Amino acid sequence: MATEAAPMDEKAKRMRDLLSSFYTPDPSISTPTSSISTSFDNINGPSFDADQYMDLMIKKSNLDVLLQRHVQMAAEIKNLDTDLQMLVYENYNKFISATDTIKRMKSNIFGMEGNMDQLLHKIMSVQSRSDGVNTSLFEKREHIEKLHRTRNLLRKVQFIYDLPARLQKCIKSEAYGDAVRFYTGAMPILKVYGDTSFKDCRRASEEAIETIIKNLQTKLFSDSESIQARAEAAVLLKQLDVPVDSLKDKLLEKLEQSLDGLQINPEEASKLAEHNVSSKDEESNNQGPAKIHEDAVRGFSEAMRAYREIFPDSEERLFKLARSLTATHFENMELYIRKRVSAADFLGIFRIIWEDVVLMDEVLPEAALSDLSAEAAQVTLKQFVARTFSHLQQDISETLLKFDINQKEVVDGEVLKVVLEASGKAVLQGTTDIFQEFRQLLDENTGIFVKMNDLLIGWIQKGFQDFFRSLESHFLVLSGKTSSSNETEGLVEGKSSEKIHAGLILVLAQLSVVIEQKVIPRIAEEITASFSGGNSQEFIPGELCRVFHAASEKLLQHYIDTRTQKISNVLRKRFKTPNWVKHKEPREVHMYVDMLLQQLEEVGKEVKQILPQGTFRKHKRSDSNGSNTTTSSRSTTLHSDKMARSNSQRARSQLFETHLAKLFKQKVEIFTKVEFTQESVVTTTVKLCLKSLQEYVRLQTFNRSGFQQIQLDIQFLKAPLKETVEDEAAIDFLLDEVIVAASERCLDVTPLEPPILDKLIQAKLAKSKEHNNNNNNNNKTTVSS
Amino acid sequence: MQGGSSGIGYGLKYQARCISDVKADTDYTSFLTGTLSLKEENEVHLLRLSSGGSELICEGLFSHPNEIWDLASCPFDQRIFSTVFSTGESFGAAIWQIPELYGQLNSPQLERVASLDAHVGKINCVLWWPSGRCDKLISMDEQNIFLWSLACSNKSAEVLSKDSAGMLHSLSGGAWDPHDVNAVAATGESSVQFWDLRTMKKVNSIERAHVRGVDYNPKREHILITAEDESGIHVWDLRKAKAPVQELPGHTHWTWAVKCNPEYDGLILSAGTDSAVNLWYAAASSTNEKTPESLWVQHVSV
Repeated sequence: MATEAAPMDEKAKRMRDLLSSFYTPDPSISTPTSSISTSFDNINGPSFDADQYMDLMIKKSNLDVLLQRHVQMAAEIKNLDTDLQMLVYENYNKFISATDTIKRMKSNIFGMEGNMDQLLHKIMSVQSRSDGVNTSLFEKREHIEKLHRTRNLLRKVQFIYDLPARLQKCIKSEAYGDAVRFYTGAMPILKVYGDTSFKDCRRASEEAIETIIKNLQTKLFSDSESIQARAEAAVLLKQLDVPVDSLKDKLLEKLEQSLDGLQINPEEASKLAEHNVSSKDEESNNQGPAKIHEDAVRGFSEAMRAYREIFPDSEERLFKLARSLTATHFENMELYIRKRVSAADFLGIFRIIWEDVVLMDEVLPEAALSDLSAEAAQVTLKQFVARTFSHLQQDISETLLKFDINQKEVVDGEVLKVVLEASGKAVLQGTTDIFQEFRQLLDENTGIFVKMNDLLIGWIQKGFQDFFRSLESHFLVLSGKTSSSNETEGLVEGKSSEKIHAGLILVLAQLSVVIEQKVIPRIAEEITASFSGGNSQEFIPGELCRVFHAASEKLLQHYIDTRTQKISNVLRKRFKTPNWVKHKEPREVHMYVDMLLQQLEEVGKEVKQILPQGTFRKHKRSDSNGSNTTTSSRSTTLHSDKMARSNSQRARSQLFETHLAKLFKQKVEIFTKVEFTQESVVTTTVKLCLKSLQEYVRLQTFNRSGFQQIQLDIQFLKAPLKETVEDEAAIDFLLDEVIVAASERCLDVTPLEPPILDKLIQAKLAKSKEHNNNNNNNNKTTVSS
Repeated sequence: MQGGSSGIGYGLKYQARCISDVKADTDYTSFLTGTLSLKEENEVHLLRLSSGGSELICEGLFSHPNEIWDLASCPFDQRIFSTVFSTGESFGAAIWQIPELYGQLNSPQLERVASLDAHVGKINCVLWWPSGRCDKLISMDEQNIFLWSLACSNKSAEVLSKDSAGMLHSLSGGAWDPHDVNAVAATGESSVQFWDLRTMKKVNSIERAHVRGVDYNPKREHILITAEDESGIHVWDLRKAKAPVQELPGHTHWTWAVKCNPEYDGLILSAGTDSAVNLWYAAASSTNEKTPESLWVQHVSV
């Protein structure tokens, strides 16, 4: 099969080549393959030579092959003939149809020429007709066009003639915008023909425009008009070529004036703040002044916005205005907080200002208002914190000084106690309140506050630190304990120190203790609770506690000093005035003893109101109370025995004896540390007084009677002093010291006989009892009356 | 700060109220002290610190007719000193000269150079000008201040001038300004008062109650130190005498006497009725506002 297929293919190929060579003029191009394989025996090649092929065949092949070849060739030739015949036939067919088509075309074209001529002819006639129409209508059209132009001109003229009336109408209806549009539209004409044809018209319209300008200006400057309307007016005026700069100046001046209305008056500020707060509570009732203020500021910022658009070159000025408004806001705020202001009110005002600033900042972001106000706010806030503290201090000192600490009241009533309680409460409550107020500030989340939170915490801590420090120095000033560093202060105090009541000093001392033990720990607690993790190096409770501890001790010492100073004065007078060398025989206990005891009693009363009792005082007092009189009387007799004995001896040996006794006696500590108890203070005072008494005695020289007088006085003092004082041994010791000192300074030591001593003391006791009774009676009568 | 018992002692027979350093004795550290005994025979002791500084040696012991309330050594002649004394009823003041000692210690009599006998009331003190030779003396009683001219050679003293402070002021003591021979301060009941000796008029005063002791700072002009009953020790600048420059706590009871160290500025020695002697250091510069501190406290057992 395969062998059969190959010659079949070859045959078909040859056929196709032949056919294509027939149709293509250049066979060498169309059949490149055949030309390549050109050889002798290629019967299809163009260079085929039949004779040569014949010769070659005959030479090469035998008969059979030749015959076979011949048959094959004859068949091929036959095939070729049929193929050729078919091709001819096909071509002939095509030729015939082509000839037919040409024939048909020819017949079609033949009739067209006449039609074309006809068409040309018709077109020619149409053209000539239209030319005729055109020429006949030309004149009319020209006329119409002319008429139209005239009409337009007339309309314009009409407009200009109507302009004054129209403008008037606009004035009447206040449609200034239209009026200005009309006028500016007519302007070029008026400019050209204004001096000739439209003289009247121009004048009239100019007049109208003048009124319009006037109106616009009044509108611009009238406060009743809305800012928007005024801005529009400004725009119109600008269009009318009215000098804008002067206008701008005027307007800005106007704006500046309107600033006054926007200021937050320090007097009204509280009202404003109140309303602000209340309007928060009840939204319905927001016609408060805060709302009005807000509207005003909104209006102001709108105006600024408008002006900014109208006068782009006025920015600087507007900036200045806005800045000055902000600045005055904060200035007023400072004025406002000069008075006492609660944090809520402060915040209220602050919020209003901040809103204003935000409003203005929207309009003028370049003015950097928020930076400016942030700075100002810092200053103000700092001041507020400082002022709040100073107010608190003022409060405290007022509470302290409110009560008229008058000698009598202090002794009789419980004034000191009241003062202490009130002032203690003032300090504790005050500091807690202040802290709460600051919490409010911290909780506030108005933009600016959030930024300042850290600063604020620092200020608050520093504020507390400074506050307590200044409170301490204030206490010292109040107590009259001059701080020598400040000269003027020293002067003032020097003057007033006489007037400062000792009780007040005691109150201050105890108050310092209260602050040390209660107030400072509490504030420290609050601070650590509130600013947890914050920087707490500004507020150092430990240091403050130390300061107040020192202050309390200083003040207590100062109290004792002032008290002993008073007693010292009594003693000084007592010992300076008489001539002790010429003293007369003692007849009674000297009255300075009463004064001394009275002073001590006052101390006792004051102390009782303020200071706590000592721990072991009670039982000692109760069990000694019963036996006290007996022991003291015993000691009296003992002492007088001794005196009596020594009476007979020589003075010198007596002196020697006292010295010896002193050596063997246990050394009594006179100057012990003062504690914050009633007993300790009283004891210290008594000790210091007795020491002073001893020193005064040592400065004098006594005769016998003088010595006896001292002996009598001291003997009398013994019982009441022991009753008031816890350290009996020390008192005994000191009283003995006085006697010893007196005997040393006596020219003739002869003690009083004990019976006489007793008698005189009893007389004194009776007298003082009577005196007391009288006093009581007097009191009763005064009460009843 | 309590000093140990490192002090050296010297026992007197009786109580004494005054001691004075003998400035004129440039070779030794010497002191004069006088006893205060109403009924016994009083003595003046001349003490000298031994060369090792470990002992006080009695260089002389002289009987004095009355109890001695004040004693001051002459700054230019170590043998001369003044005393204020009391018989119990009346006061007197005198200038004494220590007799030449010829080895014996048996209570030789003091030579009385002059007696300052113009006083009537209680005499407080006799002052010598502290900084050198000056033939003038000041004596004070409670109401008057006298300026004397002293002539040792012919053993006489004359009153040059006097002024009365007034009944109310009741002077108690004083100090002579080492920087100004004409200025004297006197302590009174309610103030410290200043006299100009040329005119013998009061020129100035510091209102301060109960000043017991006063001393000028020998190193710095215008600086005065006062000791007060209750309120301790104050340092004053006399050019601005409204308020003290510095304040020292003083003593537990009255502060009785203060003295400036003649060599070291700022060292102050004070004595009080609490039987203590305190040594203070008050820094000179006021800018350095250091709290003055007590350097040393010595309790004296009586």
